[in-house]
Amino acid sequence: MERAGAKSKAALGFLTVLEYPSFGLFGGYLVLNTAGRPLEFHCTAPVKPNRAQEILYGPTLEPFLYGEQIGQTLVAKAKTEPLLVCTDRPPALALRDHIQVPVALVLPDDADEGSESRVAEPHLGGWDSAAQAADPRLPALELVWRIDAAHGGTPLVGFQLGRNRLAVAEANQDDCRLVSERIAQLAESFDLAEPFGRIREAIEEARQGGQPD
Amino acid sequence: MPAQFGPRSDVEGFSWHAPRPPAVFTVSLCVRPEPFATGFSAMLGRATAVATRRIPCGVAAPAVLSIAIGRPVVRVRSFAFAEPAEPSQPPPSSRSMAARVVTTRLPHATRIRPPGDVVKLEDRLRYLLQPSLEVLLAERSLDFPCRPFPHQLEGVAFLFPRQAAILADEMGLGKTMQAITAIRLLVRSGEIRNALLICPKPLVSNWQREFDLWAPEIPVAVIDGDQARRRWQWQLTDVSVKIANYELLCRDRQVLEGDGPDQAIHFDLVALDEAQRVKNRASVTSQSARGLSRSRSWALTGTPVENSPQDLVGIFEFLAPGLISDAMRPRRMGSAVSDHVLRRTKEEVLEDLPPKLFRDAKLELSPQQWETYRLAEEEGVLRLNELGEGLSIQHVFELVLRLKQICNFDPATKTSSKLDRLEADLEEVAASGRKAIVFSQWVRTLEELARRLRRFGPLEYHGRISPQKRETVIQHFREAADARVLLISYGAGGVGLNLQFANYVFLFDRWWNPAVEDQAINRAHRIGVSAPVIVTRMLTIETIEEQIDRILEEKRELFATIFSGAKGPAKLGLTQQELFGLFNLKFPSETIRNAA
Repeated sequence: MERAGAKSKAALGFLTVLEYPSFGLFGGYLVLNTAGRPLEFHCTAPVKPNRAQEILYGPTLEPFLYGEQIGQTLVAKAKTEPLLVCTDRPPALALRDHIQVPVALVLPDDADEGSESRVAEPHLGGWDSAAQAADPRLPALELVWRIDAAHGGTPLVGFQLGRNRLAVAEANQDDCRLVSERIAQLAESFDLAEPFGRIREAIEEARQGGQPD
Repeated sequence: MPAQFGPRSDVEGFSWHAPRPPAVFTVSLCVRPEPFATGFSAMLGRATAVATRRIPCGVAAPAVLSIAIGRPVVRVRSFAFAEPAEPSQPPPSSRSMAARVVTTRLPHATRIRPPGDVVKLEDRLRYLLQPSLEVLLAERSLDFPCRPFPHQLEGVAFLFPRQAAILADEMGLGKTMQAITAIRLLVRSGEIRNALLICPKPLVSNWQREFDLWAPEIPVAVIDGDQARRRWQWQLTDVSVKIANYELLCRDRQVLEGDGPDQAIHFDLVALDEAQRVKNRASVTSQSARGLSRSRSWALTGTPVENSPQDLVGIFEFLAPGLISDAMRPRRMGSAVSDHVLRRTKEEVLEDLPPKLFRDAKLELSPQQWETYRLAEEEGVLRLNELGEGLSIQHVFELVLRLKQICNFDPATKTSSKLDRLEADLEEVAASGRKAIVFSQWVRTLEELARRLRRFGPLEYHGRISPQKRETVIQHFREAADARVLLISYGAGGVGLNLQFANYVFLFDRWWNPAVEDQAINRAHRIGVSAPVIVTRMLTIETIEEQIDRILEEKRELFATIFSGAKGPAKLGLTQQELFGLFNLKFPSETIRNAA
């Protein structure tokens, strides 16, 4: 999705979605310059699917909400077109079908989490395995590997850039090369997992501080 | 009858006869039906009749119920942030230690959080969305002489966003470095351009040196010289940080405040070191500080409450006037200032710091001292009682001082039980190759000690030593192997000195306020100390020293109440009533300034 007037400067986009059982989904999109300083921040009001959507979208509901609804809307609001959109939520990879920029899933570092078993091999699993891998709150022993790929989601292709472990949807595996070309040098010193903590704090602050316009 | 076969046994002898042919009987198994004569049987014989009927097989259109799935409406709130003031990528050659810190993922990331008084969501997000302090330091390629401690980075993150703040760390945790680094970041990020640091006069050179160390690229000017020169220095616009002492602040008040708000010299930041200097709101120092035109106000002090909660009110009159008042209870006061105060103790943040071990040397006066002391006390109390209505706090104070001096030395014979003990201890210190610092409140005591302790190579640091020579004294004490003892007055050396290479501290006499004693002790017990610090507190029993110590001991709780259980300066100072009570004197009704 090309946007008229989007400035092209070296920037990275970070997209995450938080789920609050009482409210719904809050999306946050942070655009950073290459030094990690914030340029833009966009967040959504809570998005909550109705019962019909929950039933009829089935396992495709999350990719629809995270990628198409929340992700696409947030990215469209930004004035800066990034080199890459990073996400820590596997369903948000569906955003790639709606924008021209590569979208990569940032997997947690083994060392950060202190558990080797928590991180699944991304190219083997579907959404659930990667979701578990990306969400350190889930216990390692409860990893679920879906074999019904048609309903379970798209398999992933993992790769390493600097100290960052990334994955893209298998259908977009050409993005591996594209991402490497765009940020290989930057990724040597940039911790791509770190900005998600900032977004979570900002969403929490915005959630408590007032309703979006 | 069936045929019989076989030999016949009814005849004599044996004979054979041909067998008879077998008889054959035929039985018919055919059953002859004999149908009954019924109507059904007749019907079977008739031809079948075939009839046809048309049945419609079309399907009627079912009723349809449509459910609209719909698409959730996503509302978005957007925030844009200004580009950083500096180039985002420093030259590779200038990459510093901090940069190396960032490229490897450290478990500790220090975040700058918005202060409580920042209300606007956009402003709060601007702080929340900044990278960690470690990343910011790397981005700006800030070199440090050594890696800052995590608590120091937390302190920088605390100061950086605040308009009004007290950094109240215990002495020895590096308040100076934290303030300088925060100022450095603010200057480098373009948030401030003109900062003023006010400190006690003896510490000016120390601050200048620390700025050279921790922020070498920041232009710093020390305000000094005659009035014309100072006027010119105050107006300088090409230096980011000006350093002045409290006396000059008062003296140049007119220059700083101008003839009105429009003509005042404005500072983006004013930081007061040893900010307890402005605790007395009526003092010229406090008024001069409060009169400064400024955007941000910081206070650095290890003892924000020296004598009473009113001290804190006095400091906050400079930081955020009206935030707290004298009428507040300590707990409420603590709650009101909690977002503005950062207080850490060494026990909390420096787990590896060698301990500070206290030894109370409770000594009896020598016979000569005791005789002199008893006479002085009797005569003194008698004279105070004779003063009647003319009795003032000054009279009481003079007697206390006189008695305390006798506890140090007998004026006539110069005998001293404290000196005897000190000499014995210093023999051990010297034998172990270590160094000691000795504190007293009197220069005369220190000079007498210097004379009597000559074999230990004593050096003196007090009000009679010129500021220029003081630097040399400290350097010599640090470097010379034969300089074992540094004799310091509480007034001159209680703050701002880094003497962590001395492992022994002797409090030859006790200060009125234990917070000051703590500051003195922490000259040696601070970051960089490599061995436990032995603190010997000398106290003569059955004297005024013991009484004062007992009173102060009972006042430990107030500081902890205000600062939520933080270990504050051990005790608070004496009140006027308590000074009078030392001699069972009635406290006069008129207002007298607190002498302690």
